Amino acid sequence: MDPAVLRVLIESTVKIALLFGLNLTVVAYMTLVERKVSAWIQDRRGPNRVGPFGLLQPVADGLKFLFKEAILPAHAHTALYLLAPVIIFVPAMVTLSVVPFGPPVELFGLTIPLQIADVDGGLLVILGLSSLGVYGVALAGWSSNNKYSLMGGLRSSAQLISYEMAMGFAVVGVLMTAGSLRLDAVVQSQMSHGWNIFWQFPGFIVFMAAAFAETNRLPFDLPEAESELVAGYHTEYSGMRFSMFYMAEYANMITASALAATLYLGGYHVPGLALLGLSPNLAALVQVAAFGLKVAAFLFLYVWVRWTLPRFRYDQLMNLGWKVLLPVALGHLMWVAFIVLMGWS
Amino acid sequence: MHLLTGLVIVVMVVALLRAAMPARPALTMLGGAIAATVLLVAYRHDLLGTEFWAGAIGFVAILSALLVILHPNPMVSVLFLILNLMCVALFYLMLQAHLMAVLQIVVYAGAIMVLFVFVIMLLNLRAEEELRLGRGAQRWLAMGLGGAFAALLFWALRHRSAQAWSGPGRYIEGFGTARDMGALLFGEYLFVTEAASVLLIAAMVGAVLLAKRRLD
Amino acid sequence: MRVDFFLVMAALLFSIGCVGVLIRRNVIVMLMSIELMLNAVNLTFIAFSHELRSMTGHVFSLFVITVAACEAAVGLAIVLALFRRRQTTDVDDVSLLRW
Repeated sequence: MDPAVLRVLIESTVKIALLFGLNLTVVAYMTLVERKVSAWIQDRRGPNRVGPFGLLQPVADGLKFLFKEAILPAHAHTALYLLAPVIIFVPAMVTLSVVPFGPPVELFGLTIPLQIADVDGGLLVILGLSSLGVYGVALAGWSSNNKYSLMGGLRSSAQLISYEMAMGFAVVGVLMTAGSLRLDAVVQSQMSHGWNIFWQFPGFIVFMAAAFAETNRLPFDLPEAESELVAGYHTEYSGMRFSMFYMAEYANMITASALAATLYLGGYHVPGLALLGLSPNLAALVQVAAFGLKVAAFLFLYVWVRWTLPRFRYDQLMNLGWKVLLPVALGHLMWVAFIVLMGWS
Repeated sequence: MHLLTGLVIVVMVVALLRAAMPARPALTMLGGAIAATVLLVAYRHDLLGTEFWAGAIGFVAILSALLVILHPNPMVSVLFLILNLMCVALFYLMLQAHLMAVLQIVVYAGAIMVLFVFVIMLLNLRAEEELRLGRGAQRWLAMGLGGAFAALLFWALRHRSAQAWSGPGRYIEGFGTARDMGALLFGEYLFVTEAASVLLIAAMVGAVLLAKRRLD
Repeated sequence: MRVDFFLVMAALLFSIGCVGVLIRRNVIVMLMSIELMLNAVNLTFIAFSHELRSMTGHVFSLFVITVAACEAAVGLAIVLALFRRRQTTDVDDVSLLRW
């Protein structure tokens, strides 16, 4: 086989395996983080029986899901019913493949970019994959043969596509200052012009609100709230299939946090790292760790907001998406166009 | 043996097995897996070549298009159409149309098809019990006309001359990226872009108005 | 030739969409077959654009996608309105204006 092709194959396989493993581990431990942080916010302790400080709780949860009976509802469309969790889960995982985790490192005499796929249309790939995730929700609601699921699926998909627009506009603002669709170029532009969160704060707010809505997290989680439509589109799912929805929600959170860190907080950029004069690989390690910290900060923000704010009613939610966020995003775009024209960035 | 012929044979083997032993899906899948493995071994030298994947993806595209129009359940038809759109997006990638490939996924497969899914969910369309394909002569006439049209297209393709389209448009460096598309859209084709935006607004207003319950 | 392969694919997809519009009676599947046809036309545009090294085909293709979106939106709104009046998605049942 052609050595160049072999090298690309091995490099990609190792990166995918590492990223996949890391992603799943963080997803599992996000469940524990959620429960612990919510507990501390509510002035109680979280799970602390299973393992030291409850650190083995995700293992116990996983085992529980595995052993639960996976019920297949009668009169449900089996193929679509089984396909829906897959369609929700896969885009959440694949989106992380275009996110740069760090600067290119020098290993074994090769320059390896810490990004699985540096495609020319990175930002668009992310938007496209989040659009594809809507199908999982819609199909789950449809194929369950259950009125609550159908309503939950309809509401949730309507919410998802409404907030996709606002997210797209916020992303276009970042695109204008970066001058390229590649996420690596976005990080490079933030290295030279300062982090986007300072220049494009309204866009950041719009993006965060849209990201909260896209991941179906409070305050936008009406479609899956317990007191509303039973459990929304995943009412009829049990056992491992339900855990796919559960994990997909956390995977989406991680992806949105990684995106927010890359687009607005400078990705793996650590200001003033050059002053320390570290060796390139050590500097890369520090930058990767910094990226991880930024993602962790956003994840904490997600959990914090969930247990602090009340839930939006559905009409308030749609109102916010179309009548508030979209005009704000458009105004923000005009502001960004102005600063690009003036050459301030 | 051309790849598409091989793939057609695999499908025929699977269909025959399923027709012969409908109560044993496991044997059908086993037969299909064996046929697919034989095919992969036969083509093992080409597995990384573009021709092989073009043929395979083309096969999936045609198969999914056929299933779109033949499957009784509209929701499953939508899913096969999405599969078809993704195959065409892969074709665009092979033709160096990077931006169009991603736009196809974002706009076509990610927004227009979601609209279809919404409408099917709202209308609660279940699978049709029997596929009522056009009455009487309409079915055969339609297939005959479709075959004649396909024959016409093939004849036109076979007889096209290499110099038929003289005077191409501007050739730009870095083909197929967003930068070049943007240069054209906001340069030469600015009026068309603005007209398209007016069209979109008209369509939005029209769709909202047509779907209202009461005109008040 | 490589480009001819894509043109043949597009021709096949267009024919399949054509047949789909003519033989199916469910109006949603008819709209989907129209989308298939538009898709095939897009593929032809992009294939020729690749052969002629011109981005004009891409621009055309983008506008075809735009028009397809508008047509799908308005068409589905009509289908919704129709369904509310007649409780059917069968085009053979909406034949009031037939002679």
